[in-house]
Amino acid sequence: RSTHARAILGPELFDQLANIKVLLVGAGGIGCELLKNIVLTGFGNITLLDLDTIDLSNLNRQFLFRKKDVKQSKAMVAARTAASFNPNVCITPIHGNIKDPQYDLAWYSHFDLVLNALDNLDARRHVNKMCMAGNIPLVESGTAGYLGQVQPLLKDRTECFDCIPKPTPKTFPVCTIRSTPSQPIHCIVWAKSYLMSQLFGEDEEELSNELDEALKAGENVQEINTLRKEALAFREVRQALRSADQASGAARLVFEKVYDRDIRNLLSMEDMWRFRDKPIPLNFDSIKKDTFLLRGQKASEAAVATKSAPAAANGNATTNGTTESAKLKDQRSLSLRDNWEIFVSSTEKLAIRLQSGEETISFDKDDDDTLSFVTAAANLRSAAYGIAGKSRWELLMRAAEMAGNIIPAIATTNAIVSGLIVLQALHILRKSYDRLRNVHIQFKPAVPLSAVIVSSPNRQCGVCREAYGLLRCDPARTTLGSVIEAVVAKTRWGGDGTDVDIEMDEVVVNTFEGQRLLSDPDFDDNLERTLESLGVTRGRFLSIQDEDSVFQPISLAIAPLPEDHPANGPAFVLPSPMPIPARRPPKPKEPTPLPAAVRTPPRHSLKRAAPDDDDVETMQPAKKVAKGTLPGTPSKRRQLEHDGVVVLDAEGEVVDDD
Amino acid sequence: MAPGESQSIESATATIRPDNKTRRYDRQLRLWAATGQAALESCRILALSASATSTSILKNLVLPGIGHFTILDPTVTSGADAGNNFFLDGPNSIGKLRASEAVPLLCELNDGVEGRADTRSVQEVLEQDPSFFLSFTVIIAHNLASPVLNKLSALLWSNESAPALIVVRSSGFLSEFFIQFHEHDIIESHSESAPSLRIDSPFQSLLDDALAVDLANMDITDHGHVPFVLILVRAMHDWKKEHGGNPPKTYEEKQDFKDTLGLMKRKPDEENFDEALAQAYRAWTPTAVPSDLIKLFAALPDPLSSSAPPFSHLLLALKKFTEQHDGHLPVAGKVPDMKADTKQYVALQRLYRAQAAADAVAYRALLDPAACVPDDVVDLFLKNAHAVRRLQGAQWGTLDRDPTKLAESLDMFPKETATHLALAALAAWQTMHPQPPEPGVNEVRPSAEELSGLAARLLPADVELPEKEAGDAIGEIARAPSADLPNVAAFLGGLVAQEAIKMITKQYVPVNGYCVADLVETWTSTLAP
Repeated sequence: RSTHARAILGPELFDQLANIKVLLVGAGGIGCELLKNIVLTGFGNITLLDLDTIDLSNLNRQFLFRKKDVKQSKAMVAARTAASFNPNVCITPIHGNIKDPQYDLAWYSHFDLVLNALDNLDARRHVNKMCMAGNIPLVESGTAGYLGQVQPLLKDRTECFDCIPKPTPKTFPVCTIRSTPSQPIHCIVWAKSYLMSQLFGEDEEELSNELDEALKAGENVQEINTLRKEALAFREVRQALRSADQASGAARLVFEKVYDRDIRNLLSMEDMWRFRDKPIPLNFDSIKKDTFLLRGQKASEAAVATKSAPAAANGNATTNGTTESAKLKDQRSLSLRDNWEIFVSSTEKLAIRLQSGEETISFDKDDDDTLSFVTAAANLRSAAYGIAGKSRWELLMRAAEMAGNIIPAIATTNAIVSGLIVLQALHILRKSYDRLRNVHIQFKPAVPLSAVIVSSPNRQCGVCREAYGLLRCDPARTTLGSVIEAVVAKTRWGGDGTDVDIEMDEVVVNTFEGQRLLSDPDFDDNLERTLESLGVTRGRFLSIQDEDSVFQPISLAIAPLPEDHPANGPAFVLPSPMPIPARRPPKPKEPTPLPAAVRTPPRHSLKRAAPDDDDVETMQPAKKVAKGTLPGTPSKRRQLEHDGVVVLDAEGEVVDDD
Repeated sequence: MAPGESQSIESATATIRPDNKTRRYDRQLRLWAATGQAALESCRILALSASATSTSILKNLVLPGIGHFTILDPTVTSGADAGNNFFLDGPNSIGKLRASEAVPLLCELNDGVEGRADTRSVQEVLEQDPSFFLSFTVIIAHNLASPVLNKLSALLWSNESAPALIVVRSSGFLSEFFIQFHEHDIIESHSESAPSLRIDSPFQSLLDDALAVDLANMDITDHGHVPFVLILVRAMHDWKKEHGGNPPKTYEEKQDFKDTLGLMKRKPDEENFDEALAQAYRAWTPTAVPSDLIKLFAALPDPLSSSAPPFSHLLLALKKFTEQHDGHLPVAGKVPDMKADTKQYVALQRLYRAQAAADAVAYRALLDPAACVPDDVVDLFLKNAHAVRRLQGAQWGTLDRDPTKLAESLDMFPKETATHLALAALAAWQTMHPQPPEPGVNEVRPSAEELSGLAARLLPADVELPEKEAGDAIGEIARAPSADLPNVAAFLGGLVAQEAIKMITKQYVPVNGYCVADLVETWTSTLAP
């Protein structure tokens, strides 16, 4: 049965395939095709991971799924369908999130090859970093409508995914989202990321614990109290949503809190509205009775021009030719009254789901109830804030597209891409590196493929040029200072000893977790704290950078101690051998300065941080140490961020919010 | 929908909760819309084998929802088939008829699609029931033996309304495909070029509106929201007044024009003026009939009979329209996104729509009523008039029967043509050496020399095969001539199905010629038909 594959791959490579351990991340459009292909090609040991469940709109291309499988785990169903084809293949399905901490560097190191079949930038970057850290070959891919791309990524041999900076999704300042929206997209982010999670997200006690922790960690008491008050106000609403006898009134409770009381509360801050148009509190009952007047229009009459002002607001260009049809479909307009009705009905439906056992519900563009809820909630907020028009406000049905980034997807492009992925993977396994190509599927009818020879790593890359190692430790017992001391003592900066201009015992370092500064030579408050208390735990990286950024950073992946480690043994074990940071190449000429950041007005009492930033990709204030610089060069004004709370050096200092 | 016109809650929520079919096909409707979907759902596909490549192609047609497919294949499943074809039931299928095994598994993918297995041979149907082929929309022939393929191609070529024939050849990592059709008209080409906004030659209402904008006395917020179209029309009007009615022609003049745009800004961050600067070329580039259209106009028969295809009538009316309107196409009525406030944007949109409606009336008056073109087709044509396409196809094999043309092609595209020749040589060799039913078992393989000899025969006597390119391609084929690899099958499955969908929906521009692919080196290229 393997005649074809054996003939063409050669017996040697073919026999090797049975023992190759491959990780396939994603069981969606590309993932299904890819799983079929690698099973047919003869890969013997496959781990398949996906966090999603099957939706009806997947069936036009995700061919391992049938109608009866809707709502089941993609990974499980795909594995079952594909495994039945070849009894000799071992497929391990995982229904989980690739970013979860247990999928740490030690876990990745079990694999010989990683194939990405992901649909979002964040996870792609994460897997790329892990593969670079673990020196595991990765084939990256993506499709959008008729367009597609396949990219083999090998540490030190090719570019990594982050060697060329990707346009990051636009982020918004917290205040803009929470208090002063000015564009429809702000309202959508608010509804999707903030309101959804407050009402249907994780248990409020956990939120509260998080605040306790933050307080213990010495965060601003006033800020925390404000947040606590807000959390308390949501408690009543959350409880109502979860108790059967109150569910019918729950929509009113939510509505009155967020569209009436919260807005009135904001209006009381006169300062805030000196240069802004004031929002108008919405009244549940009078909208219901259609006696409500919004800027002179009746609730049932206020409808809409369909100018799509924020079409590009989320930074996602739609493939040419798709925008028009998508607009036709999604740009129908709803009146204020329509939105009120959808808000009430979708809230009730979500409440019923909570009561029938769903613990949390988060936004999913394929989940109609959440989509309706977010659309209506965002539209109502746009209405209250008079966004996009003074006399006539517009409501956009494109919420789905903006919040969920719906990209056209078809079977054919996925099939082409998945065939190419395996062919590139075979080149890697055969070590035919000269045959590796970055392949693009393009729109030109005469030349469907464009293939370019892979590039060398970008010497300035902040991901694949770092020196990686595994720090096995008990984060609860390991202090930051002790790790720094040991690492500095053991590291051979520059490796070959030619860097005589650096006296080894003079090296002082800055440390980071992600972009978060943990310590520098003048800031030693955290040295006695444990890695655990600093949030440097399994799955994360502790980066150590010499202060003058002469060398590349050392990034240590936090992993558990070995099982046979004696209980009274040291709290951590350094990697052996120690990773050797290379000398940084000279900086290319300074990038052109970014336009002056828009400064927010001086702080007012509503300036506060988001406790749930980790859930809210679009609301990360001041997380960047300094715009456009690598972690090694923190700005003078220190912005230390812990648990999402921003602490500033000086009271009243102006913050660059974006 | 016009402002003030509200939807009922039923129809509004219907857009949020569409029916199951719409949800199932949502991601593809965004590409080819309901019209494309309807064309798919009424089409009938015939595949002339149940090979791994054929079933991969069919899979990608069944998933998006074609109406019907038939697999015509008399062969019995071999062990090799069972190992590389996902749409056979593994070892259980060995010894059973391939077509009958594959059809139910393909049908499982989409219960809206009807599938049928026909276990006659192509040869047999050609001899006894040739009209059978005419009942399909598209016929797909993967690695069909040359003598039968040539007969089928001739049969279909003899009838202008016969289905399109997609010929697919693959061997190991090399492959090619070709679509045989007489003429293919595309209204919705989904071109990347946008219709003219007529900034250089504004229609009256556009000019009036642009001149009515009181930039000087405007509120500062409104000033930052005047659509760039109006800014450009206005600026060009003023420019022409000062320059004897001429637009900027030289580089310097164009820069001067841009400078005047820059000076119109009242605040440095007015994005609408930035857009105007970026689009300034539209103001001095004259709107003209696209050259592709001029060629299509020239090729129209004169006079045109009423029974000519509707597309020809649409083109003829378009030609007349441009003759009567200074070389302008009808206004398409679409306005791109731009920096503007709602009020001004909607006003601009209305302006273009009104002009489009007026142009449509003038256009319809030029259309031969005897041609009976449905109204919605006329509307679609007008929206896409700037990018409509008409492709002239060729019969399969024309290139191989023309040594001079092959030699020219070899000269210009050596590796692509060499790969095509290598595949043609393999087909010729296989005609002389019919294979045993089980690939790889007792397989007689062609030597590289034999293949080179056969390839050279297609070329003029004085032309030699390029050593490197032909050697690579022929070597690759000689290694495993009959290998139908799952990844190549997956790749071809996507590529060929995509072209079939373009043919069926008459949207997007399909490949016209021999699309050759080498997946060792990872390239594709198209040789002229």
